Amino acid sequence: MKKIIYFTSAFFFAAVISCSDDFLDVPVQGGPTTSSDPKLAEKLVTGVYNSLLQGDSWGNGDVHGFAFISATNIISDDGDKGSTAGDQLVPVGDFDNFTLTPTNKFAESLWSGHYNSIGAANQALAALNTASLSDAEKNKLIGEVRFLRGYLYFNLVRMYGGVPLVLRVPRDAADANADPTFQTRADVADVYQSIKEDLQFAVDNLPLKSVAITGHATKGAAQSLLAKVHMYLQEWPEVYALTEEVISSGQYDLVDDYATIWRQEGDNSVESIFEIQTGKFNNANLKIDNYTGSQGPRVGSGGGWDDLGWGFNNPSPNLIAAYEPDDLRKNATIIFVDKTPAHTGTVLWDGFRLPSGDSVQNLYYNYKAYTSRTKEQFANPAEKDRPKNIKILRYAEVLLMNAEAAIHESMGDPAGRVNEVRERAGLDPLGAVTIDDVWQERRVELAMEHDRFWDLVRQGRAAEVMHAAGKTNFVEGKHELLPIPISQILLSGNKLEQNPLY
Amino acid sequence: MLSLLGLAAFSAFGQSRRITGKVTDPTDGSAIPGVNIIVTGTSKGTATDVEGMYSIEVGPDDNELSFSFVGYQTRREEIGDRTVINVEMETEVTTLQDVVVVGYGVQKKTDITGATATVKGEELFQQPVLTATQAMQGKISGVQIISSAQPGISPQVRIRGVSTAMSGTTALYVVDGVLTDDISNINTADIVNVNILKDASAAAIYGSRGANGVIIITTRKGQSGAIKINYNNNIGIRQAANLVKMANAEEYRNYVQAATGSVPPPSDYDTNWYDTILRTAWQQSHNLSLSGGTDKTTYLLNVGYLNDEGIVLNNEFKRLTVRFNNEYKINDKVTFGLQSSYGNSVNQNGFGNIDIDPYGNIGGVYNNAYRAAPIIANKVDGRYGNTSAYQNVGNPLLDVNNNDIRVRENRLQGATFLEVRPLSWLTLRSSFGGDWRNSLNRGYWYQFNADENTFLSSGGNQYNTLSNLIVKQTQSFRWVWDNTATIQKTFGDHDFTLLIGTTAEKYNQHWFSATRKDVPADRDLWYIGVGDANTSQNDGKGDAWARNAYLARLNYAFNEKYLLTATIRSDGSSRLPGKNRWQQYPSFGAAWIASRESFMEGQNIFDLLKLRASYGKVGNDQIATDAFTQTVALNKAYPFNGSVTTATNGAQLNQIIDPNITWETTEEFDLALEFEMLNARLSGEVNYYNKKVSNALINVPIPRTVGDIDGVILTNAASIENKGVEVTLNWRDKITDDLSYSVGGNVTFNNNEVVALNGGQAIWGGSIGASQGYTTYTSNGQPIGSFYVLKVIGVFNTDAEVNAYTNDDGQKIQPNAKPGSFKYLDKNNDGVIDDNDRVFAGSYQPVAYFGLNLGVNFKNWDFSMALYGNAGNEVYNGKKAVRVYGTDNVERDVVYNRWTSANHSQSEPAANTGNLPASDYFVESGSFLRINNLTVGYTFPTGSLQRFRISSLRIFATSQNLFTFKKYSGFTPELPGDPLTSGIELSAYPTTRTIAAGINLGF
Repeated sequence: MKKIIYFTSAFFFAAVISCSDDFLDVPVQGGPTTSSDPKLAEKLVTGVYNSLLQGDSWGNGDVHGFAFISATNIISDDGDKGSTAGDQLVPVGDFDNFTLTPTNKFAESLWSGHYNSIGAANQALAALNTASLSDAEKNKLIGEVRFLRGYLYFNLVRMYGGVPLVLRVPRDAADANADPTFQTRADVADVYQSIKEDLQFAVDNLPLKSVAITGHATKGAAQSLLAKVHMYLQEWPEVYALTEEVISSGQYDLVDDYATIWRQEGDNSVESIFEIQTGKFNNANLKIDNYTGSQGPRVGSGGGWDDLGWGFNNPSPNLIAAYEPDDLRKNATIIFVDKTPAHTGTVLWDGFRLPSGDSVQNLYYNYKAYTSRTKEQFANPAEKDRPKNIKILRYAEVLLMNAEAAIHESMGDPAGRVNEVRERAGLDPLGAVTIDDVWQERRVELAMEHDRFWDLVRQGRAAEVMHAAGKTNFVEGKHELLPIPISQILLSGNKLEQNPLY
Repeated sequence: MLSLLGLAAFSAFGQSRRITGKVTDPTDGSAIPGVNIIVTGTSKGTATDVEGMYSIEVGPDDNELSFSFVGYQTRREEIGDRTVINVEMETEVTTLQDVVVVGYGVQKKTDITGATATVKGEELFQQPVLTATQAMQGKISGVQIISSAQPGISPQVRIRGVSTAMSGTTALYVVDGVLTDDISNINTADIVNVNILKDASAAAIYGSRGANGVIIITTRKGQSGAIKINYNNNIGIRQAANLVKMANAEEYRNYVQAATGSVPPPSDYDTNWYDTILRTAWQQSHNLSLSGGTDKTTYLLNVGYLNDEGIVLNNEFKRLTVRFNNEYKINDKVTFGLQSSYGNSVNQNGFGNIDIDPYGNIGGVYNNAYRAAPIIANKVDGRYGNTSAYQNVGNPLLDVNNNDIRVRENRLQGATFLEVRPLSWLTLRSSFGGDWRNSLNRGYWYQFNADENTFLSSGGNQYNTLSNLIVKQTQSFRWVWDNTATIQKTFGDHDFTLLIGTTAEKYNQHWFSATRKDVPADRDLWYIGVGDANTSQNDGKGDAWARNAYLARLNYAFNEKYLLTATIRSDGSSRLPGKNRWQQYPSFGAAWIASRESFMEGQNIFDLLKLRASYGKVGNDQIATDAFTQTVALNKAYPFNGSVTTATNGAQLNQIIDPNITWETTEEFDLALEFEMLNARLSGEVNYYNKKVSNALINVPIPRTVGDIDGVILTNAASIENKGVEVTLNWRDKITDDLSYSVGGNVTFNNNEVVALNGGQAIWGGSIGASQGYTTYTSNGQPIGSFYVLKVIGVFNTDAEVNAYTNDDGQKIQPNAKPGSFKYLDKNNDGVIDDNDRVFAGSYQPVAYFGLNLGVNFKNWDFSMALYGNAGNEVYNGKKAVRVYGTDNVERDVVYNRWTSANHSQSEPAANTGNLPASDYFVESGSFLRINNLTVGYTFPTGSLQRFRISSLRIFATSQNLFTFKKYSGFTPELPGDPLTSGIELSAYPTTRTIAAGINLGF
């Protein structure tokens, strides 16, 4: 009897104390940590590229989505809001009409989207520093990430002016709250200085396009972007030198048919210097959310067809008027909806017939955002919002930057550069070119390509041109920049200063 | 030792004699079968047979027999030199002897110092509902049960208010010692009783699991005696209980024309879309149980089958349960046993299986039926009316027919225990429980085009160009191992019970899903391998955690009058970072049973008068297992190589986490008075509680510049308080031998408030789409999930009124308004109506909820009625609110009550095209009172049944949710949801009324 008592008591006692602390060390399942994946650093670099596809415009972040379209095209004299009159008056209409407020959701998601990407870049750089890779390989990867970070800050400084210059990963939330870097604005000059340093490192460490894998940042991309940065700072000798290097590198040329650039066949062409890649992953479309979906032709009150999108970002009559007669680029840039009584509709390049009249909501749509369900390859063609590469830097722009710098520096052959571009567009060459000629050429060549508004601000004539285009709400000294999101200002305890007049 | 016992038994047998007798019920002289008869002080026992007869051998030293049976007062009879002992057993009326399962032990209800409640299984299982919790609705104060009429779905249980915003709100269920969060696999007929630990002092023994209350379910055991066979069933029909009348074709035309100025196209149809997708549905349940045993072993086998057709076409839930409970007594000191259950369920086309219905087509049909225009046909000659071409709303009948979503689950749950009593005052118990679940879910979407093969006219956006199959398999297992030692000692007037123990628990889960397109429509081909491999996608992940705890509880009673309870549980959880991993949860309770004082002797008013007070601390660790670990965001791919067919895999580190995350801590103070008086005719309880949750998890915003993808960090910052009073009163009386009745009522007043956010972000919630954005806001000083909307202050009657509505600066506030438009309050006087003008407009948290239960027994008839209701809360009429197109249908009342130039209504706007902003127009009273259950039964007299060898037979008719009194104009004010979004009626399943009949048959 006693034995049984002792035995059972001992058993229970053992059970009571047998649980050790190891029992509670259960690692997270299916969520690798920084220490559990040796190839993490390289994957993080790819992840930075992936972050360029952010298009959560009403949510956590937008880099090249609907908010980006709003802040670059719809805001300019090239694009109108489109869709139905009342659709998305807030937040999209506020860009078109310059009624922006610090609560604008798109102005906020562009801020957060870019910092999400910069955060991903800083995380990748931190991981690369300790990764076991050869120096050459490591520097190439660092060069790519710094190129992307430079590009992101270039967008930020053009949208908001001087912004918090975050170049490292915070240890935790307390660190981020304690370090003023995260919550106060740097000088515009300091941001530009950082961009130049990032891009210079990229120029020094990235390979030429011909030896790089398509889609990665290249030396030519870094040089072209650095040239553009210098152009915004009016540092013309550098613009000239860098563009000359790109032109003489033998890596790039113009494609013959301008219209094909925005079709799958024109992706990563000889003219492409840097473009955002889209495609297929896990048998699903890998894309920027709502990039094509927001711009696709929209059904009108007549109904009767399954439309292609929401119908935003319509090319404006002002843009249409900017083309010279016979400019091939006009019909390659703009889908003209048939509103005649003939009801013939509009047949697009792939044979798709866009209905006419009341069945379509708007008069003009962006051809550069059109995707073909039948003639292009997609993981899921049934999805209306299909992948589309965005051409961030093209050789044609390098030629025009070179021309502009050549005029300022009175060297080179500005007319020759401009005429290369004009020739492809089916236009007669110009004899001599002025700055205004180059600006006009930039407008029509790069129309709907997210450049126009910033270009006008750079040229110092945004107010003048906006007013002339009927956008009379534009206030000089205010609307060149977007408002800093109010949520972020409040969060910083007002350490983050608002842009003038907002 | 065993041989010694054997010898002793043998020697006793030598001089034994036999006692026989009959046990009857004095009210009608009927025999009571199944009564347990035990020779006091021994393990010898037997049970009465069908005729109430028994026979038992007793030894020379045996001097007393004890007769016991559920529902009857236990009788003890001195044997003396009698050989025939006939006994009459009185029905048990008092609750004083009730035993409550308190977690790792049982206690007499009178000895408990915390807030608990008990419901007997027999009160629950005859209701035609799925789960025990649903049947408990309105029966217990402090426990709010929010039901869903959807087949296969358990109701939401909120014990003493909502006390968390961001972590889990599920009460802890303990089924025979197995901890779980879902009891939809438990057949209500298997349940002996349900004990609820309401306050922190009672729940503290469950430490970090107790913050949302604990519901302990004990399943039936066999009784020693001859085999007993019982068969119970109920079969009935269900119908939609409250349908909103929609406009018919003519009313629709009239309204749309007034709203848009254009006349809808002519049509011969007048479709009632609710009639189209709803049906009268069958429901049935059957239970067959076999039980019995000897004095050494008992067994119970219960097989249950439940089939519940949904009232929405093609929706069905089926469940088969098998329970086998055994107990073996090796000798006086060692007992072991097994409680096991197997459940198999199939849920066809249930709403809200977003997991495998990513398009939400099934969940959306009820809302689409609200919006679809009556001028479009539902289906004619095999072709559907094309609602989407006309109005951008999918044809709900087509969605019901062309989506096939099935959730199938197999579940094995059980526990085995070994109990040893080496000494009379010491009990050692080890229990090991497991819960294995495997669900195989499948969704299939038929292929069809928006052409004239499918529709009466082509066009629109309702089509599926390629059929699609999704299969998802989830497997999980959890085990829990409890070891306890209980010491029970009495020194004079001092009674001590000390429990010490340890418990360990581990969980792991693995899921896998795959999808392919272009799978043929033949049901026999719905396998992933049949689809187009070029379209395959798959995904999978897992989860794992462990918990470990040490616990102790001391009960001390002096003179059975002064009671003290102290509990401590030290809890460890893998879900928390190392330094916060362990936390102590103490509780104290004291009670004074005044009725046992000498000064109360001689009075015959109070049978029991008890005052108790307690304080306790519990926790909530229901947070994501990776909440404190930074993990890599995977599959952040990018298509290098210029390829449109492949992409390079990538990753991101895009979350900043709080590495110091810790438990939510609940502290609760409870004060109560319990009484039983007038010979147990009146009993009741009044309870006050104050429950404060600190360290409640909340998202604190961090600067976007740190690159955190959602801009917030989950951390412990907020505090939430629930204060309330519960009152329970029960009256029962027997007027004559033939007539007895009972009346019971309970009411709970609760006040919920977020007392501090502490830098946390006030939370927007209740997004309902359309142009309304969010509808709730959880902020300081307000109940969780309060509606936060514009305030309607009238309707403009004239343009002059529009122009006259200006702010202090003379700025027109609603310059675009027209006569008949709502006039909204410009709260901040800035001349613009926007989100800054929103005001708080109440919440779904009720001020009070209550139940009323009536029972009458007359001769062989029994009658019962249960009512349930809540008061003082608000609901949001989301269906009305998400009218997004001018072509959407409207409610008939809206057509007739609208503002017109002739009817200057100040509460209804003119005909409009929808897209109204979120306002208090859509907030309506959520108060309701419902006849929850009404049952009439007839029990056949035993004598008439004996020749069929039937020992008992009762037939009954029952009705669930017979009628609801409500102010709300929508379908149902009972709307389960998470704390931040509950109370919004958008795609809630329609509430149903059930009428059923059944039998209870015993052999």
